Amino acid sequence: MASVTAEPIDTTIEVPGKRTPLVTGAHDYGTVTEAVCRLAECKTPLSWYVALGISASLMGMLFGLIGYLIITGVGVWGNRSPVFWGWPIVNFVFWVGIGHAGTLISAILFLFRQDWRTGINRAAEAMTIFAVICAGVFPGIHIGRVWLAYWLFPIPNQMSMWPNFRSPLLWDVFAVSTYATVSLLFWYMGMIPDLATLRDRAKGKIQQFAYGLLSLGWNGSSRHWHRYERAYLLLAALAAPLVLSVHTIVSFDFAVSQLPGWHTTIFPPYFVAGAVFSGFAMVLTLMIPARSICGIKDLLTDRHLENMTKVIIATGSMVGYAYAMEFFIAWYGGNRYEMFAFINRAFGPYAWAYWIMVSCNVISPQLFWIKKIRTTPWMIFVVCIFVNIGMWFERFVITVTSLSRDFLPSSWGYFQPTIVDVLMLIGSFGLFMTLFLLFCKFMPMVAMAEVKSVMPRPSGKGDH
Amino acid sequence: MATTIEQHEETKAKAEPELLGLLAEFDDPDELIEASMKVRDAGYRKWDTHTPFPLHGIDEAMGIKWTILPWIVAGCGLTGGTIAVGMQYFMNAVDYPFLISGKPLFSIPASIPITFELSVLLAAFGAFFGMLGLNQLPKLYNPIFKSDAFRRVTNDRFFISMDAKDAKFSEIDTGEFLKSLKPIHVEEFWSDTESAKLPRSLTLGLSLVGVVMLLSVGLVAYLRTTTSPNPRIHIIQDMDFQPSLKAQNTTNLFPDGREIRPNIKGTIPRGQFKDDNIPFYYGLKYLPEDQDVVVIALQDEKKADDKKATDKKAPTDKTPAEKPAAPAVVDPIAAKLDKLPWVTEFPVPVTEKLMARGKERYRIYCSACHGLGGEGDGLVSLRAMELLQGTWVKPASYHTANVRKLPIGRLYHSITNGVRKMPAYGSQVPPEDRWAIILYLKALQKSHQIDANTISEAEKRKLRDTK
Repeated sequence: MASVTAEPIDTTIEVPGKRTPLVTGAHDYGTVTEAVCRLAECKTPLSWYVALGISASLMGMLFGLIGYLIITGVGVWGNRSPVFWGWPIVNFVFWVGIGHAGTLISAILFLFRQDWRTGINRAAEAMTIFAVICAGVFPGIHIGRVWLAYWLFPIPNQMSMWPNFRSPLLWDVFAVSTYATVSLLFWYMGMIPDLATLRDRAKGKIQQFAYGLLSLGWNGSSRHWHRYERAYLLLAALAAPLVLSVHTIVSFDFAVSQLPGWHTTIFPPYFVAGAVFSGFAMVLTLMIPARSICGIKDLLTDRHLENMTKVIIATGSMVGYAYAMEFFIAWYGGNRYEMFAFINRAFGPYAWAYWIMVSCNVISPQLFWIKKIRTTPWMIFVVCIFVNIGMWFERFVITVTSLSRDFLPSSWGYFQPTIVDVLMLIGSFGLFMTLFLLFCKFMPMVAMAEVKSVMPRPSGKGDH
Repeated sequence: MATTIEQHEETKAKAEPELLGLLAEFDDPDELIEASMKVRDAGYRKWDTHTPFPLHGIDEAMGIKWTILPWIVAGCGLTGGTIAVGMQYFMNAVDYPFLISGKPLFSIPASIPITFELSVLLAAFGAFFGMLGLNQLPKLYNPIFKSDAFRRVTNDRFFISMDAKDAKFSEIDTGEFLKSLKPIHVEEFWSDTESAKLPRSLTLGLSLVGVVMLLSVGLVAYLRTTTSPNPRIHIIQDMDFQPSLKAQNTTNLFPDGREIRPNIKGTIPRGQFKDDNIPFYYGLKYLPEDQDVVVIALQDEKKADDKKATDKKAPTDKTPAEKPAAPAVVDPIAAKLDKLPWVTEFPVPVTEKLMARGKERYRIYCSACHGLGGEGDGLVSLRAMELLQGTWVKPASYHTANVRKLPIGRLYHSITNGVRKMPAYGSQVPPEDRWAIILYLKALQKSHQIDANTISEAEKRKLRDTK
């Protein structure tokens, strides 16, 4: 159990012929456990309570507003003819997109054997679940009569009616609910061994009971591990195409309709790239403060952050390319309604939103070409905030500019959100942060078992 | 006393702990792998290693067989896909067909997304629950957990556990063997002396909760499938109860206390102006004293017609349709209609323009059944006759003596209100056009009866050319 190395090393520099360690500092198996479990075991700092108080109040506001909406009706939103898909759908697409990073990190990077994912996958997956919860709230209340939400599902009913399976909106119901379920299974399954760690270290009766129940009696048997790893690999292989399908189907909500500005074949890949882009930005936004506050910088090193910024450059460039290609096709396609839709997007009444989107999504990620920015956490954080803002505006621009100029010029209008719209968006961040704070406090924030499996073995042998 | 002795014996029997196995603790994963190889080679079957993380190389060292999990997952995925395709086909093409813009009721491309999603969903369930099932988890009670040292198995220690049920197991030999592997220490683990049962109060409470839950579900199911004299509980009102006023009720809003309001002074009933020009709107010279005759005649005609249709349901004659309105029986309705004062002169000026209009309207509305020449051989009629369904009444030819005899007012009545199987066209063809059609119809009748010698050579040539 000798420590690997004692002196601090800069993991953002590649030394030829030498494998850069994924865990820095003098860590062995025991100290990794210690570092992760300490969060759940030590006395909760006051700052956590303050943060939870603020988040929970915002979450309470969201639920209060949902109650107000249900009692009063959807008129409390700014959704008016011709823009019937206002902020609720913008928020839905925004949150679903955020979720994609978690699954991408846990599934696709796993399949590509990117071992650095072990440091961030747990938190990223948790973020996925919470983002999908936030996303699920909006279409749920957008249907108007919330108590009839079960009509979305093919449940036998006294009307002898079935939903229309050729509607992209129904595909969306299946895609998002499948995605939420599979992400939850993936996240929970990954957590079982770490919950067992918490169970074995728990002192209080309640903790022992709760973690004992959640860890399902895991005892680290190698025969179990064998099937567990198979199951994990299979889930990863299932989740990888699933994550690509989800935002593809979300984009079908738009692309399958006939509206100029929506009816384009580039939407599925462009939406998926945008989703990964926004998701990675959100992971970084959360993890940069969290790793300092929780003291897990050794497990979540600067190298992890740098790798993620590289993904952001790649996906950000794809998004920028898609913006350009949309314009090109609008011109090249020769459809004057399409041309109008795009010229109106960039120079019409919503030009302000369009240029916020372009500057945040196309220009800001390009700053990551500079190594200094890529390796300085606070700079990454600032850029990621811009990306988050930009990606929300992307969905706003797509949804609202196209709808506000529909087929009948007499009904053209300018969308204006109400205070309920704004507060609900803020409230959804409250819901997200509340869940994330509870997760940081009570769940293993880093996948200990996975981190241990990529650490060099104490005897120095068997380094894979 | 006897019971106490029995109870005592029972607890004594329980208190006899049983050796379940041995645990050897290691602190280095590579030592564990080496030790595992030795245990494997020694021929033990029921044993296991426990590690805080999946150890590479342990599968080979222990000789763990490849799991069947991928097959379970594949089976679940295929099941999901099959369910999805079957569900979409049954629901949208069979049980509740959705016809949208004439697109096929079921098509592969449109069903791909949901098929994919359900395949993935069920495969994921297969992977997760299959893994748990094969591992026999959840297993919340395990005697191995009683070892304090074993708590570090999820942290930084590595264990070998030997099951006492193994054929080769013996407490002393196996213990010696384990010690020879140079672990940190070896310990035994025993079965529990205490009952692992839940406290009685908890069991009782849980079953009470379960019963209450089942009862409520059962109550809902019962209420859904039975009828009740009481109105249902209306949680969500939707717009079922509106404060709007209804006829036949009273209100304090108006001085006369009636919810239904009388007509405002000077209100004209719909269709009243028709009475100003009876020949034009009714095809009658004047409305008979007993105005109901017209209405009754029409209603009776309809009823009689329906009756005839039902009578014809089981036709003995293969072509009953070719015998419209059997003349043998005196039709009381036809008799009534015959007595009405039908107009015989056109109530509109007869012009070339009206004739052209009539020809155009005739071809649009009438020719599909009656044929371009009015012989009752339109395409719809021909097709219906071909189908031999027995319910079709062939439209009458205009060129029979009976039809030729009919006053034009009667023809107008037929267009307006329908006759036999012919539906009423009053709602589609305005009165002017009805008269125009009748004018053209009269011209058609004339064209079939004309003596060829009365036509000039020039006219004949013209007719030949147009043909």
